[in-house]
Amino acid sequence: MLLQQLVNGLTLGAVYTLVALGFSLVMGVLGILNLAVAELFMLGGYVGLTLMLDGQPLLVGLGAAALFTGLLGVVVERVAYQPLRHAPPIAPLLSTLGFSVIFQTVATNVWGSDPLLLPPELMDARYQLGSVSVGQAQLVVMATAVGLVVGLALVMRHTRFGTGLRAIAENRDVARLLGVPAPLVTSGAFALSGAMAGVAGVLIGLHYGALTPFVGVEVGLKAIAVMVVGGTTSIWGVLLAGPLLGVLEVMTVAFGGAAFRDMTVYGLMILTLLLRPQGLLGRAGGAQRV
Amino acid sequence: MISSYVAGLLAEIGIASIAALSVHVILAVGQLSLGNAAFMACGAYTASVLTVEHGVPVPLAIAVGAVVSGVLGLVVGFPALRLRGIYLAMATLGFGEMTRSFFLSLDATGGAAGYSGMQRLSLGAIWAWALPLLVLVLLAERSRLWLALNAVRDDETAARLLGLNTVALKLGAFTVGAALAGIAGGLFAHWHIFIEPGAFNLDRSIEMVLAVVLGGSTIALGPVFGAAALALAPEALRFIADWRLAAFGALLIVILLLRPQGIIDRRLLRALKP
Amino acid sequence: MTVSRRSLLATPALLLARPAVSQARFAGMEVKLGAIVPSSGPFAEWGRTNTVALRMVEEQVNAGGGIGGARLSIAIYDDAARPAQAANLVRKLADDDKVLAIAGPLTSSACEVAFPVANQAKLVACSQASSKPGTAAANRPWAFRNTIDEAVLLKTSLPWFKRSYSVETIAIIYDAKDANSVALGSRIMPEMLKENGIRLLNEGSLATFNTGDIDVSAQVTALKALNPTALVVAADYSQAVTVLREMRRQGFIKPVIGGTPLISSAILRAAPEIPVVSCATYYAGQQGEKVQRFTNALQPRLRATAGLPPTIEPSMYDAHMAEIVGMYTDAVLRGGLTLKPADLESDREKLRAHLEKLSGYEGLSGPIHFAETGDAVKVFFTVVGQNGSWTEKVRGCSTHGSLTC
Repeated sequence: MLLQQLVNGLTLGAVYTLVALGFSLVMGVLGILNLAVAELFMLGGYVGLTLMLDGQPLLVGLGAAALFTGLLGVVVERVAYQPLRHAPPIAPLLSTLGFSVIFQTVATNVWGSDPLLLPPELMDARYQLGSVSVGQAQLVVMATAVGLVVGLALVMRHTRFGTGLRAIAENRDVARLLGVPAPLVTSGAFALSGAMAGVAGVLIGLHYGALTPFVGVEVGLKAIAVMVVGGTTSIWGVLLAGPLLGVLEVMTVAFGGAAFRDMTVYGLMILTLLLRPQGLLGRAGGAQRV
Repeated sequence: MISSYVAGLLAEIGIASIAALSVHVILAVGQLSLGNAAFMACGAYTASVLTVEHGVPVPLAIAVGAVVSGVLGLVVGFPALRLRGIYLAMATLGFGEMTRSFFLSLDATGGAAGYSGMQRLSLGAIWAWALPLLVLVLLAERSRLWLALNAVRDDETAARLLGLNTVALKLGAFTVGAALAGIAGGLFAHWHIFIEPGAFNLDRSIEMVLAVVLGGSTIALGPVFGAAALALAPEALRFIADWRLAAFGALLIVILLLRPQGIIDRRLLRALKP
Repeated sequence: MTVSRRSLLATPALLLARPAVSQARFAGMEVKLGAIVPSSGPFAEWGRTNTVALRMVEEQVNAGGGIGGARLSIAIYDDAARPAQAANLVRKLADDDKVLAIAGPLTSSACEVAFPVANQAKLVACSQASSKPGTAAANRPWAFRNTIDEAVLLKTSLPWFKRSYSVETIAIIYDAKDANSVALGSRIMPEMLKENGIRLLNEGSLATFNTGDIDVSAQVTALKALNPTALVVAADYSQAVTVLREMRRQGFIKPVIGGTPLISSAILRAAPEIPVVSCATYYAGQQGEKVQRFTNALQPRLRATAGLPPTIEPSMYDAHMAEIVGMYTDAVLRGGLTLKPADLESDREKLRAHLEKLSGYEGLSGPIHFAETGDAVKVFFTVVGQNGSWTEKVRGCSTHGSLTC
């Protein structure tokens, strides 16, 4: 049973990693907590799964979701972030929250507040490895989490977009002097963050087989904890912190009771903030940038 | 004679105003708390247990609740000294969720089933708390102490160089803010005469911050105005029916864009003077 | 003088409810009722179907000549499932809208805060859904619920469940954030299981999760390792769906029993092969002339409503809503109300007194009475959801003292 619980924890960790990536990209570069990411995750799930229910293949669902939530990410950036760039960080936090509320209402009015259920047959294959059983969707979620982290790290290191983002993270004005098209790159970061959240939504919806308009709330908070523990300035951090919190949560539930679960997860987040504000893999000094 | 519906809304505005002032005071030193619902819960549960199980008079119970919340604020304030801005916000958010989770598993106060048995306060009693507290904060804002708080907010290093005890100021603000939230909690419990952990969730903390940010944080009338606007908005938006919450979100964004400093500031107040 | 004439008219109505007599009585007057439903927020679907059901009843009553000639008008408000809003809406309906009585609020949290206000205002409020133990009983005499206590339902459903699935051992999982589910999962169920001689395998360490959790894999793995013959899932359907899906994923196919909040078509689609046993006072697909007339009238309206999914079916709470309005109508006709604005206070009291001693009122599936706890005494069914539909197995009655169906 312990092994099976480990697999459960790793899957949950991969789920958190996927959502945390969306938060982390914008937070790491711009120091903004974009709360709408949690709802972009939810909307991506609805768009992708609706298409798949319509008979479209997985890749079409993923592509459409990524495109849709990526565009919405830019809308959020243009409306809720750009005009408030020089305001205290609470202002964009609350304006992105405004978008969260809007997105939840849109989903409720379009798809209803009842859970959207996928037919049980979708991605239903299971593999038995000794005493441990793993599902196809589970493997896809885990593989995608790793793939997206590696991909994003490569983009950040080796593309002009990535170096531009990192330059803006250091100093926006200097970056512009060096010829980085700051507004374009910033929009790109929001688009990418939204698209990743959308992809996460489709895969996670597929894995659990059900979605509600409020699915982003709890997962979003946990993903923020993952981002903090991993380090807001580190892409690789979420790949470490996601599974860590996932396994920790599952083990607390399995051996301590669900009552202590939130205490453990948020306790770890607070401890990280106090003792190692840059997170497990972040650079020192990162937490000062606000 | 006002209708009981209007009276109900006024009572809620009174309670929400005190809650918003709790964020306002902490924000005066530049600290943003997304966990003030936890202090509110602490005040609410303390006061309720005192009145229901020990027969303590309501005003005294609420005062004790405020002290307990204040002490909790002091305890939380210490580690919070290390954090700023969005990082402090996230840490207090975590603290709020942990506190809610604590009350959820606390069987002595009913856990998820909630706690009841309190006597209902009148509208007058609620404003008998809210008005003096508002006046007190308004008076404090004219004092040198408030200037010192704002100095810490604007530049902590410079404030320290000026000889200000920044640690004491920050802790003091956190303690007073937590105590105010505790009072709001005690009043909340004795107005709704039923409390449950879900009443003190992240939404509540965000509501308090929203009241301050929308109303304006340069003067205490701002948070009170913000609290009133937040209490009335859901009622005023009823005609939109199914899109009520979305309209609220859109309104929030528009106000933030048009008046990032909040609706009420000193300039507006000056302009309104005849 | 007027009093004696009124009682003369009321007597035949009491005996036979002859429409010819009562039609003239309130001609040109208005019966104003209030309703509090959660049309936005997490229970939006329930609130929105409630609204459609209420509008349908209103339309039907008025098309049929009204209530003794009086026009029925229902003021419907959305509380977004927020207790504070529900409480203020009770005040609004009491003072501003001057309604005779209120149907709602829906959630137990809202009832806990709104019922005391109704008591203060001396106005009947009858919830269509709250089933948290004791919520109405704590707020007598004005609070009522057209629902049955879960413990009463289990007295019928649990023995049947045990017999039909040869249940010897069982394990419990419940939603620790939802007061209803906590009461059912941690208190009522363990007691009832003991009474029925079913061994509880995870006693002392019941499995829990929180409303909004998407992942319950750890809990299900632990439950599966206990290898019980059956499982108790105490949660509302939208949360239970997550548990059922996880059971299916882990190949843990065991019969499930739970409370009334499980009744929903979403449960049927979650894991068709897992039999889910629960109790209902109404379910889509229920047989019977009156109930089918209700379903057939409401379903097309729901499906034609914007903001509701095209596959939606009437919920148990829609049926309860229709019955609540029916009971209020019954009180207007037979309770000696005058409907004069000046008599509003005494009319509210007469309506309350009528409900308290309600007799001879036929709900959708049989007569309804109210126990002194404020909860309904009415017919219910133990149903099994499997392979896409609910099947009625046992018919019961929430008999209370001398009150029975």
